[in-house]
Amino acid sequence: MTALLEVDHLQVRYGPAVAVDGVSLRLDAGERVALIGPNGAGKSSLLNAICGVIKPAEGRVRVDGRDVTGAAPGTVVRKGISQVPEGRQVFQSLPVESNLLLGAYGRVFTGELVSSTLRYLSGRAETRARLERIYELLPKLRELRERPAGQTSGGEQQMVAIGRALMADPRLLAIDELSLGLAPLVVQSLATFLRALNEEQGVALLLVEQNAQLAFELCTRAYVLEAGRCVLEGPSAELQRNEVVRNAYLGGGLEVAPA
Amino acid sequence: MTNFIQLVVVGLSSGFAYALVGIGMVLIHRTTGIVNFAQGAFAVMGGLVTATLVDDVPTFLAVVLAVLLVAFVGGVMGFVAFGRRGRTTLLASLIITLGLALLTSAVHLLVFTDVPRTYPRISDTSWDLGGVTVDPQYVLIGAVALTSALLLTFVLRRTIVGNALVACSDSRRAAELVGLSVRSLAVLSFAVSAALGGLAGALIIPLIPLTYDSDVSIAVNGFAAAAFGGLDSIRGALAGGLVLGIAENLVIGYIDPQYQLAIGLVIMLMIISWRSRHEVAT
Repeated sequence: MTALLEVDHLQVRYGPAVAVDGVSLRLDAGERVALIGPNGAGKSSLLNAICGVIKPAEGRVRVDGRDVTGAAPGTVVRKGISQVPEGRQVFQSLPVESNLLLGAYGRVFTGELVSSTLRYLSGRAETRARLERIYELLPKLRELRERPAGQTSGGEQQMVAIGRALMADPRLLAIDELSLGLAPLVVQSLATFLRALNEEQGVALLLVEQNAQLAFELCTRAYVLEAGRCVLEGPSAELQRNEVVRNAYLGGGLEVAPA
Repeated sequence: MTNFIQLVVVGLSSGFAYALVGIGMVLIHRTTGIVNFAQGAFAVMGGLVTATLVDDVPTFLAVVLAVLLVAFVGGVMGFVAFGRRGRTTLLASLIITLGLALLTSAVHLLVFTDVPRTYPRISDTSWDLGGVTVDPQYVLIGAVALTSALLLTFVLRRTIVGNALVACSDSRRAAELVGLSVRSLAVLSFAVSAALGGLAGALIIPLIPLTYDSDVSIAVNGFAAAAFGGLDSIRGALAGGLVLGIAENLVIGYIDPQYQLAIGLVIMLMIISWRSRHEVAT
């Protein structure tokens, strides 16, 4: 069976610095997979290379077996992969509902403004229906729909960013640092929501996370990145028992740096 | 007193033109982060082309054609200035707009020579309001500037294309990630800004004849107007343009016409230094 997402020996460089050094990964439809690792391990670079934000120096990215390496972000969105960026990055001055609608506009935006806009306008009924579905999944967003997104709480902004990504009707939702800067209770409820989204709607998840505990709870498999390389991979349950992972990521004996 | 009011009224007319140029700068800056120095060239092109076309076609049509041409040229400039995704820095873009402004000025010199151009105002009559002369052209400029500002605000707030432009300014990264082509939107913002600048030039040239090298003073005044609202506010640019137009005209009337451009520069510097201090303080 062809994987939904297949990354083959991907390398990302910033000038002479190598951020991602030959990472391969695979994700099937409907899976929940985590990418964990310390700050600067190359998780976000890998995700951004998959989503077309940065061009990889080497390696390939395939969606449904089709090569999308170096394609524009919009192309990747239209192939069914949407990203929730690190730090949410909501459109602050626009109302929550406009944030969501732009998710739908972006999906039909092919670089040419007039035809893209006509396509969006002709599909408005469908967009409306999808918006309704997202309001049903995340009722909080309906309450907030007229408020500028910048004036909502961190957790609410994360919901806006997720809702915006879902407006493109993705088959894979790639989330960069779900828990960053959010209260544990908020993170828990978002995790519950994402699990339900995955189980009920079949949307696959790729979670980039520094909080390994959360990643293992939410995802069935995980890849461990260190210094740009994939050092471990396997089912979450297995990795959770792994000595190295326990020590490095699950607080099993803190490594204290020499003073 | 009548003299003072007269100076203010005349100042308002050029103020509205500066406001239009400034609003264009705001739109481009918000969408792309670029400060567009070719904004003055748009106004000059709008004015010179209109003044040439009125010989052959009705004034209204001449203005419309000139504005369309300027919008097209603006779009092309936007395409060039925006450069390649992830490769062109803001500083590079800014210098490209400077270069394009010089190039446009040279083309204007070639095509229109260095003779100041103008064309007749919409009406020869003017109204006398208690000793203050009001020219219908002033009213026209004011009405067009206010309508443009309102229309643009509406578009940015209420339409999906406008929202997409705002989205680029809020988070370019996120705009890209949802699939919007930031480059197409940058081209659009340049085209719309160019149209606004062209409109300003087309409407002011009956009152103030323009030459190929008028673009520098218009760009400076437009920038000063835009800087009034921190380069990010349409209302701020409108207010800035009016304050500037009035201040300039008072200087012309009471002090010396040759300080006209200096006043724009001084106000611009004052605002920028005040704002930078203010922003550090908060």
